[in-house]
Amino acid sequence: MSGAAVTYSKPRLATFWYYAKVELVPPTPAEIPRAIQSLKKIVNSAQTGSFKQLTVKEAVLNGLVATEVLMWFYVGEIIGKRGIIGYDV
Amino acid sequence: MVPPVQVSPLIKLGRYSALFLGVAYGATRYNYLKPRAEEERRIAAEEKKKQDELKRIARELAEVVFLGCLSGNMCFSSNLPAQDDSILK
Repeated sequence: MSGAAVTYSKPRLATFWYYAKVELVPPTPAEIPRAIQSLKKIVNSAQTGSFKQLTVKEAVLNGLVATEVLMWFYVGEIIGKRGIIGYDV
Repeated sequence: MVPPVQVSPLIKLGRYSALFLGVAYGATRYNYLKPRAEEERRIAAEEKKKQDELKRIARELAEVVFLGCLSGNMCFSSNLPAQDDSILK
């Protein structure tokens, strides 16, 4: 039965790695200055008020991306407290 | 297959820093809560022990009064201990 599970999951694992190798890797040190520049651009747009020129669709997409980034915090908390629901004290 | 998306470095930085912050938060909160939960369990166990002692004493007292009642003469209402809960303990 585990043979069937392996044959089922192998190609799907391969697709997962194919995307994860590009999309889920941590930032290399060389990318950090670019990240800081993007952050400065965002702060700038907040200061000058140019964020009001975004379309609603763009704003919604940005909101979704921000939510996904924040959810990684809770995944980290699950790892840190070694339990999925609640603290096992 | 759709080619993998090139994720912006800011998003990558945000994701992984949120992950690390989450792990740190989960671990520190766990270490904060663990001794408190043990203390509370210890106190609850001591309280239970005391309550069991008191119940045992009350039960033995009631038995003495009951035997006195059976033998006929010691069944005054002033003898009976004040029952604050049901006999069906």
